[in-house]
Amino acid sequence: MNKHFPMSRRGFLKLGGSTAAVASALGASRLEAMEQELGGKDFSPVTGKLREAVPYTCLVCNIEDGGIAYVEDGRIVKLEGNPDHPGNRGKLCAKGNSGFLHTYDPDRIMTPLLRTGKRGEGKWKRISYDEATTMLAAKLREVIDRSVKANDPAIRNEIVFKWGRNRTGGAIQRLMGAMGSSAMVGHTNICESSKKIGLEPSWGPDIESADFQNTKYALIFGGNVTETAYFHNPNAQRLVDGVVGNKAKLVYFDPRHANTAKIADEWFAPYPGTDGAVALAMANVIMNEKLYDDAFIRTWTNVTPEQLTAHLKSYTPEFAEAESGIAAKDIRRIAREFATTKPATTFSYRGPCKHVYGSYQEAAIHMLNVITGNVEKKGGYCLPRGMGYGQPGPKPAGGKAASILGAPPTYPLAGHQVSTHMPYQLMKGDAKCSVLMTYYDNGAYTYPSSHVWEALLKDEKLIPFYCSFSPYMSENAELADLIIPDTTYLERWDPESMPSDLRPWLGIRQPVIKPLGNTQEWRMTAIQVAAKLDPDGSLGIKQYLNFKDGEEWVRAQFDGIPGLKEDGGFDYLKKNGVWPKYGKIDPVTGQIVDKNGDEVPADYGLHMKELSAAAMEGTTVEANGAIKKGGKTVGVRINGKNHAGFGTGSGKIEIYKEGWKKYGFNPMPVYKRLPSRDKKADELVLITFKVNVHTQSRTASVKYLAELYHKNPAWINPKTAAAKGIADGDLIRVTSTVGYIVTRAHVTEGIHPDVVAISTACGHNSYGRLAQLKMKEKPADYMLGGDADIDNNVWWDDKGVHPNPIIKLSVDPIGGSQGWYDTVVTVSKAQPTDKYGDVKASVEASMKDYEETLRLAYTGDLHKANHKEVDIDWAHLPELKAGGGH
Amino acid sequence: MQTLIEQVAQGARLDECRAQSALFRLLARTLEYEVDEAFLSHLRNDLLEALAEAGAELPEDMLSGPSDALFEKLAVEYTALFVQPGAISPYASVFETGSMFQEQCDRAARWYQENGFVFKHRYSGEFPDHVGTMLSFVAALFEREAQALEAGEEGNAEEIRQSRERFLIEELGSWAPGWAKLAAQAAQHPFYERMLGLVERVLWDELTQVVPPRRMRELTEKNSRGPTVIKKDPGFRKASGL
Ligand code: SF4
Repeated sequence: MNKHFPMSRRGFLKLGGSTAAVASALGASRLEAMEQELGGKDFSPVTGKLREAVPYTCLVCNIEDGGIAYVEDGRIVKLEGNPDHPGNRGKLCAKGNSGFLHTYDPDRIMTPLLRTGKRGEGKWKRISYDEATTMLAAKLREVIDRSVKANDPAIRNEIVFKWGRNRTGGAIQRLMGAMGSSAMVGHTNICESSKKIGLEPSWGPDIESADFQNTKYALIFGGNVTETAYFHNPNAQRLVDGVVGNKAKLVYFDPRHANTAKIADEWFAPYPGTDGAVALAMANVIMNEKLYDDAFIRTWTNVTPEQLTAHLKSYTPEFAEAESGIAAKDIRRIAREFATTKPATTFSYRGPCKHVYGSYQEAAIHMLNVITGNVEKKGGYCLPRGMGYGQPGPKPAGGKAASILGAPPTYPLAGHQVSTHMPYQLMKGDAKCSVLMTYYDNGAYTYPSSHVWEALLKDEKLIPFYCSFSPYMSENAELADLIIPDTTYLERWDPESMPSDLRPWLGIRQPVIKPLGNTQEWRMTAIQVAAKLDPDGSLGIKQYLNFKDGEEWVRAQFDGIPGLKEDGGFDYLKKNGVWPKYGKIDPVTGQIVDKNGDEVPADYGLHMKELSAAAMEGTTVEANGAIKKGGKTVGVRINGKNHAGFGTGSGKIEIYKEGWKKYGFNPMPVYKRLPSRDKKADELVLITFKVNVHTQSRTASVKYLAELYHKNPAWINPKTAAAKGIADGDLIRVTSTVGYIVTRAHVTEGIHPDVVAISTACGHNSYGRLAQLKMKEKPADYMLGGDADIDNNVWWDDKGVHPNPIIKLSVDPIGGSQGWYDTVVTVSKAQPTDKYGDVKASVEASMKDYEETLRLAYTGDLHKANHKEVDIDWAHLPELKAGGGH
Repeated sequence: MQTLIEQVAQGARLDECRAQSALFRLLARTLEYEVDEAFLSHLRNDLLEALAEAGAELPEDMLSGPSDALFEKLAVEYTALFVQPGAISPYASVFETGSMFQEQCDRAARWYQENGFVFKHRYSGEFPDHVGTMLSFVAALFEREAQALEAGEEGNAEEIRQSRERFLIEELGSWAPGWAKLAAQAAQHPFYERMLGLVERVLWDELTQVVPPRRMRELTEKNSRGPTVIKKDPGFRKASGL
């Protein structure tokens, strides 16, 4: 104690202690935590200078969140969420935050490379973009000349374009259409196509917008919302808003204890592929106990409650228990809770639909929302809200001849192609390819039985010329003849929209920096190729790609969008990144609010909207109420009122799908027991999963993300492991009929005892030194390529083992989706000679799987046997027709 | 009026500058672009003996014969070494930070600009902090110094000399010799192996001329180190994976 400070330290502390209780009541200081700032600007920590802020749309994954790139000296130094974006509301996920490392990755391909050695030998010579585009144009011209000479448009289908992530807003389709080729193969059948096909004929769009934020009850089937699934970052925020803020109950079904299970009130682990049985049993309870919304079913669907009750009769909770392992009493209880808690919604992602007959499972889950009247309600199961943008005129007519690769006739209902079949179709000679181009595509890693893609791409007879547009040396790109590298997503133009919020938005992807080192975005490459392919315009190709650059092309795509022009048009988007601006984010609640601090409401009941007199002009109304214009349904008349309705032929929700029945499929949602359900007692079902910091394939080369997650041991239940003598960390062999992999066991209760789960994103054989962890294999200094960061800071020596080679090809005959979770395996302790990372997979075995899966198609011999209940003339199913789809 | 001794000394310095300029230009040319007809002809003719004396003898397969296959072979080696993924990245940014186009790049560009040069790329994916381009800048400064000496602009020549030495120490000294050593190990064709060896030796030689011995130790260390190592805390490791 001294005279200036007569109080002892103890005294101070006592005062402090007393103040602590009332501290928050003392009012705000002038200092506020930085996180409370809304963002939107950033300063250099060294100079204090305001950094240049450029809005863009993320594309590390496919959710298309809005971001702001901070640029200093022409260099991206930081990425942040765009606070004006209604979808992600100012936040990016870990992947989004790390995205700029893609741009500066020293293993990025920065100049076109021409193969000089054998395919895959790794011998290249650098060439210029000019030389490369000339070369590709010449290869394409050869095919087109042959087609012209033979007067055979089908020859043009020898130009094949295969894409993975295509966010070009129709630019690839435009190029292919201009050249007259229909051989376009997207990746959707390894993604969620049977979800889309379960939904589209039911109500129009291919996905739901579950209004988690306002819901009171969320039932999620196989969709890991807080980590991955669709609308990852936006949906994760809304689910937390609902569960924490709105006190909603969350029930989660997933054979694996994903992080979404952690915030759930109840987690159930159904046997893989049985979600549909559970959903049908819940519907059975809801119908039998008269908990359904009678008026909604009668008014807005094409079935009656009586028909539904009769259809669901055999799907008792006891039946579902026997299939799924989930107790009948829980199924009953949850069905009652779901039907009586308002509002409620389901959400489902790949869990239910990525099986053979996954389309039925998705339709069954969708039906739960319909019979409880939760469709288009606040807090319910809503239609997705997107905004359209087209391609500018003149538009190419497209290929004249249908392509078997682009639309396999054996899958007439699979409107999102059956891309898994491409190598088999080519190997069997069902289709021909002269020039293959790939964009954001890595089949030799990302596909089931990925070794088959490797075999295809290595075969110079089947693929005489292969041009990859990849900026990374992926498993595919390694096998290319020519690589014309695209830029990364932060250096190019694309139009965007994604229904990640109930308020629709339009976004822009724009170069936040000039393409690094004068690389060239794909659009420029396409423009140059078209100009060289058709220099005088006589082939009629050049006119469709007559743009100065990517910016001019995308600007034309945004022209004529109602309302955008008044707000400033394309330049508004360049400045703000997203349109319209609904309000600003409340820093405390995270919601978008107006000037008065009130949340900006979304529109509900879209199907109820009445059509204006102008919209009704030139329409006819059919007996079932469908309002038609130019052969298309534009609404539905109900009780004398003209409503917007749903995007189906009748304008109503079609629980009964006539289009499915035509091909011998059950028109109603049903459950089909899969062969994996009948596996032997000591076998397991192999499932895969995505993790929160990675995409399937591309992010393994991103340093921040690779450090967070880089190895993927196989999840196995302690009981199962004990029975097999396997301990945590043991070397194990996982064997399917295709082959085996040698990996390690992660023994955990968070997995169904009949299941083994292995994540994607690991175990690359290509994709740069970090993804391959090459520097650990070959310790010679020079292998580091001078990247001392990798040398010193990569402390891990395990890159994981990829499960795809042993996953069997098996496809849903309705939606055409790959059954990722249908492979039966045996798991055993590794054999003495096994080494971690060993992979053995047989092309012959995969060829057999292809033949086997064709047997399930509507033309196959197992189809009728699996659909005995369908009452149609089996002798007269529709003829095979290339270019089916819908 | 210069004394005779001064004149002789200046003549020697002039000659040395010219020789150094040519040497650095040769090294820069080797690293910046693939071997072409004109370059091969110089290597085979005017430079043959000097190269051998400098310990970078032209390999057997480059001495004579048809050149197309040879150009192809060398282009493939060049691409594998310096261009394609997995290569020895020739950029200061990558060597020092693990990313392309970082501050090192801006610094190099500023040096060029301040001395009246602009960086022009021929292929995409080329940046100002390419080791070859930096060596060609050293060559240009040697040449300018020679010109100044020739014109009797002693003060100017001195300024250029200081500038060059500073560039060499600040922008190349801490990494380029180390890089050249690694690159030589990675080379599979003796031409690049030998030329990269030469780059390393020439750089060390030049640095020894201009750097006090005390600093040399520091530079030697820098050339064999990377950025700061993250502490390998076992807890950190555990939290980062399963
Ligand atoms: S979820 Fe993450 S990676 Fe995907 S778009 Fe959003 S921020 Fe980007």
